[in-house]
Amino acid sequence: MNIDRQLPSHESRRWLMGGRVQGVGYRAFVYNLAQRFGLCGMVQNLTGEVRVEAQGETGLLDTFAAALVSAAPPLSRPYIVSCQPIPLRELNSFEILPSAESLHAQVHIPPDNFLCDDCRREMLDPDDRRYRYPFINCTQCGPRYTLITRMPYDRPHTTMTDFALCDACRAEYEDPADRRFHAQPLACPACGPQLNFVSTHENATGDTALMSCIGALRRGEIVAVKGIGGYHLMCDALNPAAIARLRLSKHRPHKPLALMFPWCGEDGLQRVREELLLDAQSAAALTDAARPIVLIQKLTDTTLPDSIAPGLNEIGAMLPYSPLHYLLLDGFGSTLVATSGNVSGEPVLTDNTEVEMRLNNVAQAFLHHNRPIARPADDSVMRIIASRPRLLRAGRGIAPLEYDLPFSFPQPILAAGGHMKNAIALGWENRMILSPHIGDLDTPRSIGVFEQTISDLQNLYGVTAKSVVCDAHPGYASTRWAAQQLLPLQRVYHHHAHASALAFEHSLEKTWLTFIWDGVGLGMDGTLWGGEALHGSPGRWQRAATFKPFRLPGGERASREPWRSAAALCWEAGLDWHSDMRDAVLLKSAWRHGLNAPVTTSAGRLFDAAASLLGLCDTASFEGQGPMLLEAAARGSIDAIYLPLHEDANRLLIADWTPLLHALRRDEIPVAQRAMQFHLSLAQSIVEQTKRVHVSRPFDVVGLTGGVFQNKLLAEFACRELSSAGFSVHLPEQAPCNDGGLALGQLIEAQYG
Amino acid sequence: MDDTHISLAHGNGGRYMRELIETLFAKHLVNPLLDVHTDAAALPTLDGILMVTTDGFTVQPLEFPGGTIGSLAVHGSVNDLAVSGAIPHYLTLSAFIEEGFEIARLERIVISLANAARDANVAVVAGDTKVVRRGEGGGLYLSVTGIGVRAKNLNLGLQHVQAGDAILVSGPVGDHGIAVMLAREQFGLYGELQSDAASVLPLTKALLSLEGLHFMRDPTRGGLATVMHEISHATKMQVRLNQPAIPVREQVFAVCEMLGYDPLFLACEGRVIAIIAAAQADEALSRWRKLPQGEHAAIIGSIKAGRAQVVLETELGGERILSELEDDPLPRIC
Repeated sequence: MNIDRQLPSHESRRWLMGGRVQGVGYRAFVYNLAQRFGLCGMVQNLTGEVRVEAQGETGLLDTFAAALVSAAPPLSRPYIVSCQPIPLRELNSFEILPSAESLHAQVHIPPDNFLCDDCRREMLDPDDRRYRYPFINCTQCGPRYTLITRMPYDRPHTTMTDFALCDACRAEYEDPADRRFHAQPLACPACGPQLNFVSTHENATGDTALMSCIGALRRGEIVAVKGIGGYHLMCDALNPAAIARLRLSKHRPHKPLALMFPWCGEDGLQRVREELLLDAQSAAALTDAARPIVLIQKLTDTTLPDSIAPGLNEIGAMLPYSPLHYLLLDGFGSTLVATSGNVSGEPVLTDNTEVEMRLNNVAQAFLHHNRPIARPADDSVMRIIASRPRLLRAGRGIAPLEYDLPFSFPQPILAAGGHMKNAIALGWENRMILSPHIGDLDTPRSIGVFEQTISDLQNLYGVTAKSVVCDAHPGYASTRWAAQQLLPLQRVYHHHAHASALAFEHSLEKTWLTFIWDGVGLGMDGTLWGGEALHGSPGRWQRAATFKPFRLPGGERASREPWRSAAALCWEAGLDWHSDMRDAVLLKSAWRHGLNAPVTTSAGRLFDAAASLLGLCDTASFEGQGPMLLEAAARGSIDAIYLPLHEDANRLLIADWTPLLHALRRDEIPVAQRAMQFHLSLAQSIVEQTKRVHVSRPFDVVGLTGGVFQNKLLAEFACRELSSAGFSVHLPEQAPCNDGGLALGQLIEAQYG
Repeated sequence: MDDTHISLAHGNGGRYMRELIETLFAKHLVNPLLDVHTDAAALPTLDGILMVTTDGFTVQPLEFPGGTIGSLAVHGSVNDLAVSGAIPHYLTLSAFIEEGFEIARLERIVISLANAARDANVAVVAGDTKVVRRGEGGGLYLSVTGIGVRAKNLNLGLQHVQAGDAILVSGPVGDHGIAVMLAREQFGLYGELQSDAASVLPLTKALLSLEGLHFMRDPTRGGLATVMHEISHATKMQVRLNQPAIPVREQVFAVCEMLGYDPLFLACEGRVIAIIAAAQADEALSRWRKLPQGEHAAIIGSIKAGRAQVVLETELGGERILSELEDDPLPRIC
């Protein structure tokens, strides 16, 4: 028998790897993988993608290809864009080739990463050359989004460009086997960024700066500390006097302050557990790679002063994420207030000189460093609602949020977002990205960051928008900006955008009944919507249900003064509201004449009214104060009140809030119970509205979105009741349900509208 | 026929019309140049650059605390000339009267117009009346053309505005807007509040000799904020306003707070905004403050190079972009 000796067949293949493959140590991984498999070939960064070529035995190549995805580094999200055979060549090694710019870019911008375990170990090792170095990082951790100035992601294209690598760092940087191979922000105490502590009587650098900062914090001072995406204002969280001073100087009497807890214990959460009711989900959210601020309930015996979040049951907690924060919290040994270093409503400050100028009256000292921040990124915020972590603010560690789409945009399109909590979005081909939280567009700095983000994201992703989509409200700064661009413009109604953003997260095909409850947004009939249920799917939304309209006395001022909503409901219902006050009589007169009293169906204003009628909040010092206090106050067991529904001539279902008003005014019932009843009744009304609409206009799923659904109590009641009535319910998860997610919905509406 | 109210016959060119003009308009507006029997007025030559302005007046209510549509028509026209650096001399008047309008009321308005003209030292030199059918007019509309002269060497205009210039206002803003609104809605609760309607000629004349004076404007419709936007648009520079420095009367502030209005967007009818070289700002301020109309004058901001926008520096050390007025300002807060 003639047996052919089968030689293993050799071939050569080229893969194009897409997804998040840059700034995450992917090339080094490929190099090491190829070494392990004994393959020859090359790996090379293109603009946004990685090209891999390898030759060897067919079976080996198959395994190698699978491992390119399955064994990839934790921060990467690779996928195989294409694979093709190429001619075999004379090769005897595997090499990393210099980056090349490619024409067709599929760029992925990594968010900023928290300090990885390996780096943390090194940082705490007295024998390591980066012992206590606050800027330690590697391919698996460190800043990215706030550091990159342009693509492809190489050191000269980052804010590290001015720091020349020392020999030791260069050796790591160039060694494919090293975990710092091509770690672009790579640094050490000899060649990298340094701390600088500045106060009226001190100017220190290096570890001394850190010690001085800790000393100042111990003395109860307020220090502006430069982090990854901007400055924090920090002070001792257990020092009520320091907190009082911070609140006074920042003109922020009540808004909750975020806390940063020291990393303690086996899982880092020991100190959090001592103060907060930590369940598994909150713990997972806190230690998530994004290291967000998570809203977590206080323990009844917490030692945290009430002034951190006056009147509220929850605390915004986070863990240290940058090496500097680890060292600072560790050295301080206790929890710190870590609130955004900004002037009210503005994006977080990032520049050393500007922060000293603008926070001069707030901070007694500054802990700077000299690694520039390319663009601001505030901390992300999450809340566990209906058993899932829900993003309330997309920021550092999360944004830019990248999506792959089941459809393609005909041309690149930019969404300008809303006016408050603005974030912008960019769509092109089959991709979509959402920027980090920018802020309220009332200040020159917000507008500056808004424009910078629009320009930066287009540059980084190599995309130029050919059209713009914005909100229908003509007074939004984002709308004004959009109208000034010399590009085709689409205007999308506020609540349509909200509904479509949610539909995108779950299903673009199904028919929805989506409740969009928020403050106010311009509706199709020219009134201010805010308590709507829309039926349909993206591009085909029909208003199915709403609240009985009422007029807001004093217009925009009503959003900051919940008492106005209370007055409005009383007057609308023919009830008395402080007619003994001359001002109230004047206002009622103006309200009756329709002077600056726009018509609204806002659910948010119903919450405001309730907060005022229960004596919890007449004038808000921050957005959402009334509803937050109302939610925190709700307790006890009490029955829901039925809100009558009737259908108008256009088949629009209208829920009447009048019985709620009467219930809120029943002073003999404790405030906690009335607050509870308010939540229960509105949740019950959602179910009633859902059932009524379903009879005549079927749908597949129920959606709950809009800023009001940041209210955990309401959202969970509604979810529970809808589920037990047999409906399938969805709330936004990846993008904020508030206006922070609006831009995504604008893109979807533009595509489907 | 009812001779206490205007009828269509008062506008038909016949006896009724002649009597109305002679016994009411001519009687009160009398001056050597006004001849009701000719079709055109002959005016003496004036020395300087001839300046002309024309304006329509439709204010409701026709009579309000501090003025009437008549005095407002004079002040509006005089002020347009005054802020252009001119000295007003002559006015022409056209009245559109609604059938059924009370003649006694018309006379009150014409008297207030005549008094305002006399005080401003201007002569009404030509006029016309028309009667419109009942329901087709708001009682009374006036149209006024003003003629004045300006010195040849005066360099006033937005093209002269420079970065660093100071912004002055001659007195509290928003009085007219609030007074008229309260009167119109018959709120009657803040009756003590008067419109600021007045001739601003003494104010403008006081500054004309300052060579650093670059621009003047009376903030009428759209108020102070709208003038600031015009300046920013035209100069492509940033206007910075120091909010605490902007004079606002306590009652105006209180009504605005309550009703949700911004006094910076409310009309004034007797205020001047001046843009002047920083070096002469204090001198201008002290000149204004010596005048009865200018005792609350203030330096309220400055012109800055950079992005064309209007920025309000707030009391708390923050900054806010002052947006342009929308047709119908709607709340934006979500």
